[in-house]
Amino acid sequence: MGMQGHSREADHDHAEISKSSPPQYYDIMETAVRELLIEKKMIEADEIRRQLEVLDSRAPALGAKIVARAWVDPAFRARLLANGRAACEEFGISFYDDTQLIVLENTEKVHNLIVCTLCSCYPRPVLGLPPDWYKLKPYRARAVIEPRSILAEFGTIIPDDVEVRVSDSTAMVRYLVLPRRPEGTEDFSEEELAATVTRDTMIGVVPATVVVGRIQQ
Amino acid sequence: MKQATEIKNEIAAMVVTAWGEQPVFQAGDRIRIRTRSPIGHYRVPTYLRGKSGVVEQVIEPPAVDNEEEGYGRNAGKRLHYYRVAIPLNEIWLDYVGSPRDGLHIEVYETWLERI
Amino acid sequence: MTSTENLVKRLPNDIGGLPAEPIQRVEHSLEPWEKRCHALADVLDFHKIINTEEKRCGVEALGAEMVGKLSYYERWIVAFANILFRKQILTPEELARKMGEVEARWDGEAALGGLSDL
Repeated sequence: MGMQGHSREADHDHAEISKSSPPQYYDIMETAVRELLIEKKMIEADEIRRQLEVLDSRAPALGAKIVARAWVDPAFRARLLANGRAACEEFGISFYDDTQLIVLENTEKVHNLIVCTLCSCYPRPVLGLPPDWYKLKPYRARAVIEPRSILAEFGTIIPDDVEVRVSDSTAMVRYLVLPRRPEGTEDFSEEELAATVTRDTMIGVVPATVVVGRIQQ
Repeated sequence: MKQATEIKNEIAAMVVTAWGEQPVFQAGDRIRIRTRSPIGHYRVPTYLRGKSGVVEQVIEPPAVDNEEEGYGRNAGKRLHYYRVAIPLNEIWLDYVGSPRDGLHIEVYETWLERI
Repeated sequence: MTSTENLVKRLPNDIGGLPAEPIQRVEHSLEPWEKRCHALADVLDFHKIINTEEKRCGVEALGAEMVGKLSYYERWIVAFANILFRKQILTPEELARKMGEVEARWDGEAALGGLSDL
Protein backbone atom coordinates (compact mmCIF):
# COMPACT_ATOMS: atom_id res chain seq x y z
CA MET A 1 0.00 0.00 0.00
CA GLY A 2 1.39 3.45 -0.84
CA MET A 3 2.75 5.24 2.18
CA GLN A 4 3.26 8.58 0.57
CA GLY A 5 0.41 10.09 2.56
CA HIS A 6 -3.24 10.53 1.69
CA SER A 7 -3.44 11.89 -1.87
CA ARG A 8 -5.84 14.61 -2.87
CA GLU A 9 -7.45 12.09 -5.20
CA ALA A 10 -8.07 9.66 -2.39
CA ASP A 11 -9.48 12.50 -0.28
CA HIS A 12 -11.86 13.33 -3.09
CA ASP A 13 -12.90 9.68 -3.36
CA HIS A 14 -13.51 9.58 0.35
CA ALA A 15 -15.56 12.76 0.18
CA GLU A 16 -17.62 11.19 -2.59
CA ILE A 17 -18.17 8.07 -0.51
CA SER A 18 -19.08 10.23 2.50
CA LYS A 19 -21.71 11.99 0.44
CA SER A 20 -23.57 8.78 -0.16
CA SER A 21 -23.43 7.41 3.40
CA PRO A 22 -23.89 9.13 6.72
CA PRO A 23 -20.79 10.16 8.64
CA GLN A 24 -20.05 7.81 11.47
CA TYR A 25 -20.32 8.67 15.17
CA TYR A 26 -16.66 9.62 15.75
CA ASP A 27 -16.49 11.53 12.48
CA ILE A 28 -19.44 13.59 13.70
CA MET A 29 -17.76 14.04 17.08
CA GLU A 30 -14.55 15.30 15.47
CA THR A 31 -16.45 17.77 13.29
CA ALA A 32 -18.49 19.01 16.24
CA VAL A 33 -15.47 19.48 18.53
CA ARG A 34 -13.53 21.29 15.82
CA GLU A 35 -16.40 23.58 14.88
CA LEU A 36 -17.13 24.49 18.49
CA LEU A 37 -13.47 25.33 19.13
CA ILE A 38 -13.40 27.47 15.99
CA GLU A 39 -16.63 29.24 17.02
CA LYS A 40 -15.08 29.95 20.41
CA LYS A 41 -12.00 31.30 18.61
CA MET A 42 -9.68 28.90 20.37
CA ILE A 43 -8.38 27.58 17.05
CA GLU A 44 -8.81 28.66 13.44
CA ALA A 45 -10.02 26.67 10.45
CA ASP A 46 -6.92 27.78 8.55
CA GLU A 47 -4.69 26.25 11.19
CA ILE A 48 -6.34 22.88 10.70
CA ARG A 49 -6.11 23.24 6.92
CA ARG A 50 -2.44 24.07 7.15
CA GLN A 51 -1.70 21.24 9.55
CA LEU A 52 -3.34 18.79 7.15
CA GLU A 53 -0.91 19.98 4.50
CA VAL A 54 1.97 19.59 6.94
CA LEU A 55 0.92 16.01 7.64
CA ASP A 56 0.56 15.27 3.93
CA SER A 57 4.05 16.57 3.29
CA ARG A 58 5.77 14.24 5.76
CA ALA A 59 6.57 10.85 4.28
CA PRO A 60 9.36 8.26 4.27
CA ALA A 61 10.85 9.92 1.18
CA LEU A 62 12.21 12.63 3.48
CA GLY A 63 13.96 10.14 5.73
CA ALA A 64 15.28 8.29 2.68
CA LYS A 65 16.96 11.44 1.39
CA ILE A 66 18.57 12.05 4.78
CA VAL A 67 19.86 8.47 4.92
CA ALA A 68 21.22 8.58 1.36
CA ARG A 69 22.99 11.87 2.12
CA ALA A 70 24.52 10.32 5.24
CA TRP A 71 25.79 7.43 3.15
CA VAL A 72 27.58 9.68 0.66
CA ASP A 73 28.71 12.52 2.94
CA PRO A 74 30.69 11.40 6.02
CA ALA A 75 30.69 14.88 7.56
CA PHE A 76 26.90 15.05 7.33
CA ARG A 77 26.70 11.54 8.75
CA ALA A 78 28.72 12.68 11.75
CA ARG A 79 26.48 15.72 12.28
CA LEU A 80 23.38 13.54 11.90
CA LEU A 81 24.57 11.13 14.55
CA ALA A 82 25.58 13.98 16.88
CA ASN A 83 22.29 15.88 16.62
CA GLY A 84 19.61 14.37 14.42
CA ARG A 85 17.21 17.30 14.61
CA ALA A 86 19.81 19.95 13.74
CA ALA A 87 21.13 17.91 10.82
CA CYS A 88 17.61 17.41 9.41
CA GLU A 89 16.87 21.10 9.89
CA GLU A 90 19.91 21.86 7.68
CA PHE A 91 17.84 20.23 4.94
CA GLY A 92 14.67 22.13 5.68
CA ILE A 93 12.84 19.50 7.73
CA SER A 94 11.06 21.28 10.56
CA PHE A 95 10.26 19.72 13.94
CA TYR A 96 7.48 20.53 16.39
CA ASP A 97 8.10 21.96 19.86
CA ASP A 98 10.94 20.37 21.86
CA THR A 99 11.05 17.09 19.98
CA GLN A 100 14.53 15.76 19.51
CA LEU A 101 15.78 13.18 17.03
CA ILE A 102 18.41 10.60 17.79
CA VAL A 103 19.61 8.79 14.69
CA LEU A 104 20.60 5.22 15.43
CA GLU A 105 23.38 3.89 13.27
CA ASN A 106 23.28 0.24 12.24
CA THR A 107 26.78 -1.24 12.14
CA GLU A 108 28.32 -4.68 11.88
CA LYS A 109 28.04 -4.83 15.69
CA VAL A 110 24.61 -3.27 16.34
CA HIS A 111 21.21 -3.58 14.69
CA ASN A 112 18.68 -1.01 15.86
CA LEU A 113 14.91 -1.34 16.17
CA ILE A 114 12.48 1.36 17.32
CA VAL A 115 9.20 0.99 19.17
CA CYS A 116 6.86 2.91 21.45
CA THR A 117 5.45 0.40 23.92
CA LEU A 118 3.25 2.95 25.69
CA CYS A 119 1.63 4.60 22.68
CA SER A 120 2.88 5.26 19.14
CA CYS A 121 5.72 7.79 19.31
CA TYR A 122 7.33 7.86 15.88
CA PRO A 123 9.70 10.21 14.00
CA ARG A 124 6.80 11.88 12.18
CA PRO A 125 8.72 14.90 10.90
CA VAL A 126 10.90 12.63 8.73
CA LEU A 127 8.71 9.58 8.17
CA GLY A 128 5.11 10.80 8.22
CA LEU A 129 2.48 8.79 10.08
CA PRO A 130 3.23 5.30 11.40
CA PRO A 131 1.70 2.15 9.92
CA ASP A 132 -1.08 0.45 11.90
CA TRP A 133 1.08 -2.52 12.85
CA TYR A 134 3.51 -0.21 14.64
CA LYS A 135 0.66 1.10 16.82
CA LEU A 136 -1.03 -2.21 17.61
CA LYS A 137 -0.40 -4.57 20.52
CA PRO A 138 1.64 -7.37 18.91
CA TYR A 139 4.52 -5.15 17.82
CA ARG A 140 4.50 -2.93 20.89
CA ALA A 141 4.27 -5.79 23.38
CA ARG A 142 6.78 -8.11 21.73
CA ALA A 143 9.49 -5.76 20.41
CA VAL A 144 11.00 -5.30 23.87
CA ILE A 145 10.90 -8.97 24.90
CA GLU A 146 11.45 -10.92 21.68
CA PRO A 147 12.88 -8.51 19.11
CA ARG A 148 14.60 -11.27 17.12
CA SER A 149 11.30 -13.08 16.73
CA ILE A 150 9.73 -9.85 15.45
CA LEU A 151 12.60 -9.34 13.04
CA ALA A 152 12.20 -12.91 11.81
CA GLU A 153 8.52 -12.21 11.05
CA PHE A 154 9.78 -9.45 8.77
CA GLY A 155 12.27 -11.85 7.22
CA THR A 156 15.27 -10.35 9.02
CA ILE A 157 17.79 -12.61 10.73
CA ILE A 158 20.52 -10.95 12.77
CA PRO A 159 23.52 -13.08 13.81
CA ASP A 160 23.99 -13.72 17.53
CA ASP A 161 27.24 -11.79 17.68
CA VAL A 162 25.41 -8.63 16.63
CA GLU A 163 23.54 -6.72 19.31
CA VAL A 164 19.87 -6.16 18.63
CA ARG A 165 19.25 -2.82 20.31
CA VAL A 166 15.64 -1.83 20.91
CA SER A 167 14.88 1.83 21.58
CA ASP A 168 11.58 2.46 23.35
CA SER A 169 10.41 6.09 22.96
CA THR A 170 8.58 7.47 25.94
CA ALA A 171 9.61 11.10 26.16
CA MET A 172 10.44 13.89 23.75
CA VAL A 173 13.16 12.00 21.88
CA ARG A 174 12.25 10.32 18.60
CA TYR A 175 14.41 7.81 16.79
CA LEU A 176 15.32 7.11 13.19
CA VAL A 177 17.35 4.08 12.22
CA LEU A 178 20.22 4.75 9.82
CA PRO A 179 20.38 1.45 7.94
CA ARG A 180 23.62 0.11 6.54
CA ARG A 181 24.30 0.91 2.93
CA PRO A 182 23.54 -2.19 0.84
CA GLU A 183 26.29 -4.10 -0.91
CA GLY A 184 26.79 -3.42 -4.59
CA THR A 185 25.71 0.23 -4.50
CA GLU A 186 29.13 1.79 -5.02
CA ASP A 187 28.07 3.27 -8.35
CA PHE A 188 24.59 4.35 -7.26
CA SER A 189 23.53 7.96 -7.48
CA GLU A 190 22.15 9.57 -4.34
CA GLU A 191 18.67 9.18 -5.81
CA GLU A 192 19.18 5.48 -6.46
CA LEU A 193 20.50 5.08 -2.93
CA ALA A 194 17.44 6.81 -1.49
CA ALA A 195 15.24 4.39 -3.42
CA THR A 196 16.68 1.48 -1.40
CA VAL A 197 15.68 3.18 1.87
CA THR A 198 12.10 2.23 2.68
CA ARG A 199 10.09 3.22 5.74
CA ASP A 200 10.61 -0.20 7.29
CA THR A 201 14.40 0.10 7.03
CA MET A 202 14.22 3.27 9.12
CA ILE A 203 12.06 1.58 11.76
CA GLY A 204 14.67 -1.16 11.75
CA VAL A 205 12.57 -4.22 10.96
CA VAL A 206 14.38 -4.84 7.67
CA PRO A 207 17.81 -3.93 6.27
CA ALA A 208 18.12 -1.74 3.18
CA THR A 209 18.56 -3.89 0.11
CA VAL A 210 18.80 -3.47 -3.63
CA VAL A 211 15.63 -4.94 -5.07
CA VAL A 212 14.75 -4.56 -8.69
CA GLY A 213 11.21 -3.74 -9.68
CA ARG A 214 9.53 -3.88 -6.24
CA ILE A 215 6.97 -1.30 -5.13
CA GLN A 216 8.52 0.73 -2.33
CA GLN A 217 6.60 0.91 0.95
CA MET B 1 45.37 37.52 25.45
CA LYS B 2 43.87 34.69 27.46
CA GLN B 3 42.79 31.40 25.88
CA ALA B 4 39.05 30.76 25.63
CA THR B 5 39.37 27.72 27.90
CA GLU B 6 41.01 29.82 30.57
CA ILE B 7 38.15 32.31 30.53
CA LYS B 8 35.64 29.45 30.60
CA ASN B 9 37.31 27.99 33.66
CA GLU B 10 37.33 31.37 35.38
CA ILE B 11 33.63 31.85 34.69
CA ALA B 12 32.78 28.31 35.77
CA ALA B 13 34.46 28.97 39.09
CA MET B 14 32.33 32.11 39.58
CA VAL B 15 28.94 30.74 38.56
CA VAL B 16 26.68 28.79 40.88
CA THR B 17 23.99 27.04 38.83
CA ALA B 18 20.43 26.84 40.09
CA TRP B 19 18.97 23.71 41.66
CA GLY B 20 18.12 21.20 38.96
CA GLU B 21 20.06 22.94 36.19
CA GLN B 22 22.96 20.52 36.17
CA PRO B 23 22.40 16.85 35.40
CA VAL B 24 22.69 14.58 38.42
CA PHE B 25 23.98 11.64 36.38
CA GLN B 26 26.65 11.43 33.69
CA ALA B 27 27.24 9.02 30.84
CA GLY B 28 28.75 5.86 32.30
CA ASP B 29 26.97 6.07 35.67
CA ARG B 30 25.29 2.89 36.84
CA ILE B 31 21.66 3.47 37.74
CA ARG B 32 18.56 1.59 38.79
CA ILE B 33 15.04 2.48 37.72
CA ARG B 34 12.89 2.99 40.80
CA THR B 35 10.13 0.60 41.73
CA ARG B 36 7.36 3.00 42.64
CA SER B 37 3.85 2.38 41.29
CA PRO B 38 2.21 5.69 40.49
CA ILE B 39 -1.55 5.97 40.28
CA GLY B 40 -2.48 7.77 37.09
CA HIS B 41 -0.20 8.88 34.30
CA TYR B 42 3.31 7.49 34.08
CA ARG B 43 5.84 7.13 31.29
CA VAL B 44 8.17 4.49 32.72
CA PRO B 45 6.82 1.12 31.63
CA THR B 46 6.19 -1.51 34.29
CA TYR B 47 8.59 -3.93 32.60
CA LEU B 48 11.51 -1.66 33.54
CA ARG B 49 10.78 -1.02 37.21
CA GLY B 50 13.67 -2.04 39.41
CA LYS B 51 16.02 -2.81 36.49
CA SER B 52 19.64 -1.70 36.49
CA GLY B 53 21.65 -0.27 33.67
CA VAL B 54 24.06 2.41 32.55
CA VAL B 55 23.51 6.01 31.53
CA GLU B 56 24.38 6.34 27.84
CA GLN B 57 23.68 9.99 27.31
CA VAL B 58 22.38 13.02 29.17
CA ILE B 59 19.57 14.56 27.14
CA GLU B 60 19.90 18.34 26.98
CA PRO B 61 18.30 20.72 27.70
CA PRO B 62 16.44 20.00 30.95
CA ALA B 63 12.73 19.49 30.46
CA VAL B 64 9.38 19.46 32.22
CA ASP B 65 8.41 16.13 33.81
CA ASN B 66 6.14 14.52 31.22
CA GLU B 67 4.16 12.77 33.92
CA GLU B 68 3.16 16.18 35.27
CA GLU B 69 2.72 17.50 31.74
CA GLY B 70 -0.03 14.92 31.39
CA TYR B 71 -2.00 16.87 33.96
CA GLY B 72 -1.53 20.21 32.25
CA ARG B 73 1.83 21.43 33.50
CA ASN B 74 3.31 23.09 30.39
CA ALA B 75 6.14 24.98 32.06
CA GLY B 76 8.00 25.21 35.33
CA LYS B 77 10.57 23.09 37.09
CA ARG B 78 12.86 21.27 34.71
CA LEU B 79 15.18 18.31 35.26
CA HIS B 80 17.04 16.03 32.89
CA TYR B 81 16.07 12.96 30.94
CA TYR B 82 18.76 10.31 30.58
CA ARG B 83 19.09 7.75 27.86
CA VAL B 84 19.85 4.50 29.69
CA ALA B 85 21.01 1.13 28.37
CA ILE B 86 19.76 -2.08 29.97
CA PRO B 87 20.63 -5.56 28.69
CA LEU B 88 17.55 -7.51 27.64
CA ASN B 89 18.66 -10.51 29.70
CA GLU B 90 18.68 -8.21 32.72
CA ILE B 91 15.04 -7.30 32.06
CA TRP B 92 13.75 -10.76 31.20
CA LEU B 93 14.97 -13.79 33.16
CA ASP B 94 14.29 -16.16 30.28
CA TYR B 95 15.27 -13.84 27.45
CA VAL B 96 15.64 -15.68 24.13
CA GLY B 97 18.22 -14.03 21.91
CA SER B 98 21.78 -12.89 22.16
CA PRO B 99 23.30 -11.90 25.54
CA ARG B 100 24.45 -8.75 23.76
CA ASP B 101 20.90 -7.57 23.05
CA GLY B 102 19.85 -4.41 24.84
CA LEU B 103 17.16 -1.84 25.40
CA HIS B 104 17.62 1.91 25.35
CA ILE B 105 15.06 4.28 26.79
CA GLU B 106 14.84 7.85 28.04
CA VAL B 107 14.06 8.10 31.74
CA TYR B 108 13.36 11.21 33.79
CA GLU B 109 15.68 12.07 36.65
CA THR B 110 13.02 11.43 39.29
CA TRP B 111 12.87 7.78 38.29
CA LEU B 112 16.59 6.99 38.65
CA GLU B 113 18.81 6.17 41.60
CA ARG B 114 22.54 5.73 41.58
CA ILE B 115 23.95 2.25 42.30
CA MET C 1 -10.01 -13.61 44.60
CA THR C 2 -7.54 -11.62 42.57
CA SER C 3 -6.63 -8.20 43.81
CA THR C 4 -7.80 -5.30 41.67
CA GLU C 5 -4.59 -3.40 42.41
CA ASN C 6 -3.14 -4.36 39.06
CA LEU C 7 -5.92 -2.52 37.28
CA VAL C 8 -4.84 0.63 39.08
CA LYS C 9 -1.10 0.03 38.90
CA ARG C 10 -0.79 -0.95 35.25
CA LEU C 11 -2.24 1.43 32.69
CA PRO C 12 -4.11 -0.19 29.77
CA ASN C 13 -1.49 1.05 27.28
CA ASP C 14 1.45 -0.32 29.31
CA ILE C 15 1.87 -3.52 27.34
CA GLY C 16 5.63 -3.92 26.87
CA GLY C 17 6.50 -7.57 27.45
CA LEU C 18 2.94 -8.87 27.65
CA PRO C 19 2.07 -11.94 25.57
CA ALA C 20 0.79 -11.09 22.10
CA GLU C 21 0.06 -12.62 18.72
CA PRO C 22 2.10 -12.54 15.52
CA ILE C 23 2.21 -9.19 13.76
CA GLN C 24 -0.35 -8.58 11.10
CA ARG C 25 1.03 -6.15 8.58
CA VAL C 26 -2.06 -4.01 8.72
CA GLU C 27 -1.91 -0.60 7.14
CA HIS C 28 -4.80 1.60 6.17
CA SER C 29 -4.91 5.03 4.62
CA LEU C 30 -6.45 7.35 7.13
CA GLU C 31 -10.10 8.28 6.77
CA PRO C 32 -10.49 12.05 6.24
CA TRP C 33 -11.90 12.47 9.75
CA GLU C 34 -8.94 10.59 11.21
CA LYS C 35 -6.51 12.86 9.48
CA ARG C 36 -8.50 15.90 10.62
CA CYS C 37 -8.39 14.45 14.14
CA HIS C 38 -4.60 14.22 13.94
CA ALA C 39 -4.38 17.78 12.64
CA LEU C 40 -6.66 18.87 15.48
CA ALA C 41 -4.39 17.17 18.00
CA ASP C 42 -1.36 18.99 16.61
CA VAL C 43 -3.14 22.36 16.65
CA LEU C 44 -4.41 21.79 20.20
CA ASP C 45 -0.89 20.92 21.29
CA PHE C 46 0.58 23.96 19.56
CA HIS C 47 -1.80 26.18 21.51
CA LYS C 48 -1.33 24.13 24.67
CA ILE C 49 -5.09 23.78 24.88
CA ILE C 50 -4.46 20.03 25.15
CA ASN C 51 -0.78 19.13 25.07
CA THR C 52 0.36 15.77 23.69
CA GLU C 53 0.98 14.30 27.11
CA GLU C 54 -2.49 15.39 28.28
CA LYS C 55 -3.88 13.58 25.26
CA ARG C 56 -2.00 10.40 26.23
CA CYS C 57 -3.23 10.73 29.81
CA GLY C 58 -6.78 11.25 28.53
CA VAL C 59 -6.61 8.11 26.40
CA GLU C 60 -5.33 6.09 29.36
CA ALA C 61 -8.17 7.45 31.47
CA LEU C 62 -10.73 5.93 29.09
CA GLY C 63 -10.01 2.65 30.83
CA ALA C 64 -9.15 -0.80 29.59
CA GLU C 65 -12.43 -1.61 27.86
CA MET C 66 -12.57 1.52 25.72
CA VAL C 67 -8.86 1.42 25.05
CA GLY C 68 -9.31 -2.15 23.82
CA LYS C 69 -12.43 -1.58 21.74
CA LEU C 70 -12.11 1.91 20.25
CA SER C 71 -9.77 2.43 17.32
CA TYR C 72 -6.75 4.70 17.55
CA TYR C 73 -8.36 8.02 16.53
CA GLU C 74 -11.69 7.15 18.14
CA ARG C 75 -9.79 7.07 21.43
CA TRP C 76 -8.26 10.45 20.69
CA ILE C 77 -11.47 12.29 19.91
CA VAL C 78 -13.32 10.89 22.96
CA ALA C 79 -10.32 11.80 25.13
CA PHE C 80 -10.36 15.33 23.69
CA ALA C 81 -14.06 15.70 24.52
CA ASN C 82 -13.47 14.57 28.11
CA ILE C 83 -10.49 16.87 28.59
CA LEU C 84 -12.32 19.86 27.09
CA PHE C 85 -15.21 19.23 29.51
CA ARG C 86 -12.85 19.01 32.46
CA LYS C 87 -11.16 22.25 31.44
CA GLN C 88 -14.58 23.87 31.06
CA ILE C 89 -13.87 24.78 27.46
CA LEU C 90 -16.90 22.83 26.27
CA THR C 91 -19.88 21.42 28.10
CA PRO C 92 -21.37 17.99 27.39
CA GLU C 93 -24.65 19.66 26.42
CA GLU C 94 -22.94 21.95 23.96
CA LEU C 95 -21.14 19.07 22.29
CA ALA C 96 -24.22 16.87 22.16
CA ARG C 97 -26.21 19.68 20.59
CA LYS C 98 -23.53 20.39 18.00
CA MET C 99 -23.20 16.70 17.16
CA GLY C 100 -26.95 16.56 16.56
CA GLU C 101 -26.67 19.58 14.32
CA VAL C 102 -23.77 18.09 12.34
CA GLU C 103 -25.63 14.83 11.90
CA ALA C 104 -28.80 16.58 10.75
CA ARG C 105 -26.79 18.67 8.30
CA TRP C 106 -25.99 15.62 6.21
CA ASP C 107 -28.67 15.09 3.65
CA GLY C 108 -27.00 12.94 1.05
CA GLU C 109 -26.31 15.84 -1.28
CA ALA C 110 -24.72 18.66 0.67
CA ALA C 111 -21.04 18.44 1.51
CA LEU C 112 -20.14 18.13 5.21
CA GLY C 113 -20.07 21.53 6.84
CA GLY C 114 -16.93 23.36 7.83
CA LEU C 115 -13.94 22.12 5.89
CA SER C 116 -15.87 20.86 2.87
CA ASP C 117 -12.76 20.91 0.68
CA LEU C 118 -11.43 17.84 2.49
